[in-house]
Amino acid sequence: MISSLLPSWLAQIPSVEEVDAKVALDSAILAETFYFWTVVVMWLIHVGFMAYEGGAARRKNVMSTAMKNILTIAVVTPTFYYFGWYIYGCFQEGWPKSGHASPDAFEGFCGASAPWSSAMGPNLQDHITGVFFLAFLLFSWTTGSIMSGAVIERIRLSAYLILTALLGSVVWIMDAAWGWSSGGWLVTNFGFHDAIASLVVHGVAGAFAFGVLLNLGPRIGKYTADGMARSFRGHNTHLTLMGLLLIFTGFYGFYAACLVIQSTAFPGWLNIYLSPTTLGAIAWVITIGFAGGFTGGWFASKGDPFWTLSGGLAGVIAVSAGADVYHPSLAYLLSISGGMVAVWSGTYIEKKLRVDDAVGAVAVHGVCGFYGVFLVGVFAGGYPTGINNIESSMGGQLMGMMAFLPLAFLPAYGVSWILKRMNLLRVPAEVELEGLDMAEFGMDFYPEFERVPEVIVEPDGREVEAAPVLLDAYWQANGKSATPVGTGERS
Amino acid sequence: MFDAFPYDSWLTTDGALNEEIAEFWTFGGGGSTGTWILTILGFAAMLIAFWGFVILENRKLTHQADRLKASGALDRPTAG
Repeated sequence: MISSLLPSWLAQIPSVEEVDAKVALDSAILAETFYFWTVVVMWLIHVGFMAYEGGAARRKNVMSTAMKNILTIAVVTPTFYYFGWYIYGCFQEGWPKSGHASPDAFEGFCGASAPWSSAMGPNLQDHITGVFFLAFLLFSWTTGSIMSGAVIERIRLSAYLILTALLGSVVWIMDAAWGWSSGGWLVTNFGFHDAIASLVVHGVAGAFAFGVLLNLGPRIGKYTADGMARSFRGHNTHLTLMGLLLIFTGFYGFYAACLVIQSTAFPGWLNIYLSPTTLGAIAWVITIGFAGGFTGGWFASKGDPFWTLSGGLAGVIAVSAGADVYHPSLAYLLSISGGMVAVWSGTYIEKKLRVDDAVGAVAVHGVCGFYGVFLVGVFAGGYPTGINNIESSMGGQLMGMMAFLPLAFLPAYGVSWILKRMNLLRVPAEVELEGLDMAEFGMDFYPEFERVPEVIVEPDGREVEAAPVLLDAYWQANGKSATPVGTGERS
Repeated sequence: MFDAFPYDSWLTTDGALNEEIAEFWTFGGGGSTGTWILTILGFAAMLIAFWGFVILENRKLTHQADRLKASGALDRPTAG
């Protein structure tokens, strides 16, 4: 009996090749599933940015602020599909020197990233491109959202959308090609190391925002005639803090999506440069990075709630570049310093440089992003990076910083300058005073709540009624003489 | 109820995926004329959307600014 069944049993035993094919398929599908869920978690970053900025805006600008975050998705997604991903595939060596066969490190990726290629649509033989594209797209949205908060309450929605497409689908993805890919010229030649995107996402977005802010100018009434900074009262600080916490939650998806996993192709988890690491290693650093950042932010700001939470973000950004190699205790110490750097640099930007960054994005993301890759040069020099095993070094880190600062700043400054010359950058002063929501949507978005007079905080800490201050600033800007202000002081 | 799993008909005689079936999206696979036409149409729609964002917002803002100026609400009060 058995002898008669044996041949049919043996015939059902799969060959080694068939088992290999099945395992490879399962591995690919597991990787596909993993990246899909990182994208789901990363959506919380954008929910968070919308809440964060909406809360920081005055009541009269709440919906116009939120609309920027929503339409970021509407413009960055198609631009990233039609040319952003193509840039990442083709410009890793600086330019596509072998055409669609570029780059050498990942042959043919340039051609495969073209929007008309077989990889860029439903394809039963490709489980990875779609979700990998999507993870990068979410990073692109994040760069736009970082700039978004800095420019609220006076930028035109359309100007913001043009600038965010430039940042999300050209600038950041070009820097990712150069310094955040296995074949990037900064990586293969100089060992540039920015594992979880301190500089390539945050620093570059912050530098871009700074370039835009220089042309955009401060909100009406932000500075006194002698250049002292006033403070606007956001309409809902609780919403802002909840938004920050949502951003932090989404960051776990962001961190995870920065790693590469496919067990049949690579031995375990890799960072974006294909150097080995673990998911646990980066989970340690991000969590203790928040702890250190909150601590540093709290002490440097003397307990200010906004800067305490922003300090958490800054702390994580400061340790992200070396998150694959830092010991948790080192990450704790460095993130404390990151939280402090954000507070000090934010104060300097506002009060000394007189740049009106509504949410401190330039300090938190820009300064701490550059600070993060600098720290790798100090504390992780000698760690081999990428497929050429070039040791990371201070020289390599500085090379990346010198490449990315102009790459981010110059296009931002240039395009925002052109928009300004065309009178398309900033809303009319009259609309800014009344609030953008009335012009854009014709309504107030808290109809059941009594509208109390808007207040503003003078440089000496007095909280006064805003209307006389803002009107005076408006009249001065329109060449009319100033009138006494501050008469609406609140008891 | 099914007498054949549809996937079976997607295979070539040697058991590999049929290339035309592997790229199973609408109007042809990668690099086909249909895909090129869709890409161009999508790109054009994206550009038109940008143009529309600029024009429509400018119209709203200009209208509201003119209305506010005409209302006199932002004029500096005259003495006396």
